[in-house]
Amino acid sequence: MRLIVRDLSKAYGLSWALKDLTFDLTAGDLIALLGSNGAGKTTVLKLLAGLVHATSGKIVFDGKPGLRGESGERSIVGFLTPGEHLYDNLTARENLKFFTALYDRNCSASEIDTALSDVGLARRANEYVAALSSGMKCRLSIAKWKLLDPVLMLLDEPYGVLDASGVELLENFLCDHCAKGRIVIIASHHLERVLAISSRAIVLNQGKMISDQRRQQSWESFKTAVNDCLRMDPNGGIDKQREGKNGRQGPAPSLLV
Amino acid sequence: MVLLKQASLILWKDLLLELRRRESVLTMFFFGTLLLFVFHFAFDVPPQTIAELTPALLWLAFLFTGTLGLAQLFGLEKENRCLDALLLAQVDRGALFVGKASFNFLLMALVEIVVMPLFWILFNLRSWTHMPALFGIVFLGTLGFCVLGTLMSATTMTARARELILPLVLFPLMIPLILATIRCMEAILRTGQLGDAAAWLRLLIGFDVIFLTVGVLIFDWVVEA
Repeated sequence: MRLIVRDLSKAYGLSWALKDLTFDLTAGDLIALLGSNGAGKTTVLKLLAGLVHATSGKIVFDGKPGLRGESGERSIVGFLTPGEHLYDNLTARENLKFFTALYDRNCSASEIDTALSDVGLARRANEYVAALSSGMKCRLSIAKWKLLDPVLMLLDEPYGVLDASGVELLENFLCDHCAKGRIVIIASHHLERVLAISSRAIVLNQGKMISDQRRQQSWESFKTAVNDCLRMDPNGGIDKQREGKNGRQGPAPSLLV
Repeated sequence: MVLLKQASLILWKDLLLELRRRESVLTMFFFGTLLLFVFHFAFDVPPQTIAELTPALLWLAFLFTGTLGLAQLFGLEKENRCLDALLLAQVDRGALFVGKASFNFLLMALVEIVVMPLFWILFNLRSWTHMPALFGIVFLGTLGFCVLGTLMSATTMTARARELILPLVLFPLMIPLILATIRCMEAILRTGQLGDAAAWLRLLIGFDVIFLTVGVLIFDWVVEA
């Protein structure tokens, strides 16, 4: 399994949200997609999910151009955004039943119950999604993608709404998923968490990739290398623009570990 | 078969959501009834012109009522970005179109089943035996309205003032359907038979078939543009 992204660009109106992004991913990769707000992380995920059209560039998955096109190709992509992609006025169980049937993975009632139980929602199975907290909705999304088992799993800032046990649940799911030879891409600002499970980190700045770090040595050196990239501007020096505007150096402090 | 299975899933989901929210059907029902009363008090229709005037009034009520339903058709999918979830899924875009159009058709048919007898009583129409044929024509017209309406509703989904733009885009395209439905209804109310209006019926059926086919074929492009 191989995902090739070449010169991928996306413009919204006159401004480029993403410019000439190029990378290759193989089975078992767990990628951290990092960068400050507006860096282009969500745009990358939406392009890979086929939810927006690329302005230029190409995505090749297993030798086939794009992740769109035939309906069979779409089914391989999972997209987890906390609190989204669930119907508020359906119960947790009905949401899972609907989406598994839509993906033609007709799961039995016991499979759905097991998935709900695995994410700690067994008692809330018959409650409307509108009545669930944000963390519970995120757990329900995890249960959904566990059942659907996508080949490419995309996650947009999944940590913000989860408690400690929820984070553990999510990370176990992602690690198991990669162990099965799937590809996972997580866009997040929670560096400490996301770098702990990632095999590689791609750093974006204003729509351009400024670093592609692989975890070859210890976690500490991996973290330090990524942090160094986040402090740098696209030209390799200190972010002069930010320094000039705000009177301080580097990216927002919340981004640094 | 896959298309029909996926369309029925989407229809089931929409019906379940509507059953719980009861927003569209209640709004449509009350608006349709209200329009009938307004027409009843505004127009003093003489018995000899009933067949000429009342079909237009009835169809007008259904058109305005249906537009209300269309405006909300994709509203649910925009909440929580559920449309993205549908687009991400292995679902045929044609199935999404058929599911949404059937849902809107069912809502309108429900409203019509209640509103039409009321119309009969308010306008003192005596020929109750014509009602089944009239229902047939109204349902054919409603089908055309729903397929074209679903297409236009999806096209204007991301527009800022979509509730205003939708009728402006929809009604000009709907002119052949409006004329055909009214002419067929008029012929049935007058004589109980289609007679000369058979050509209008063919136009009505042709309109339904063409836009149903076009919708299934191009919905992929419409919804993802």
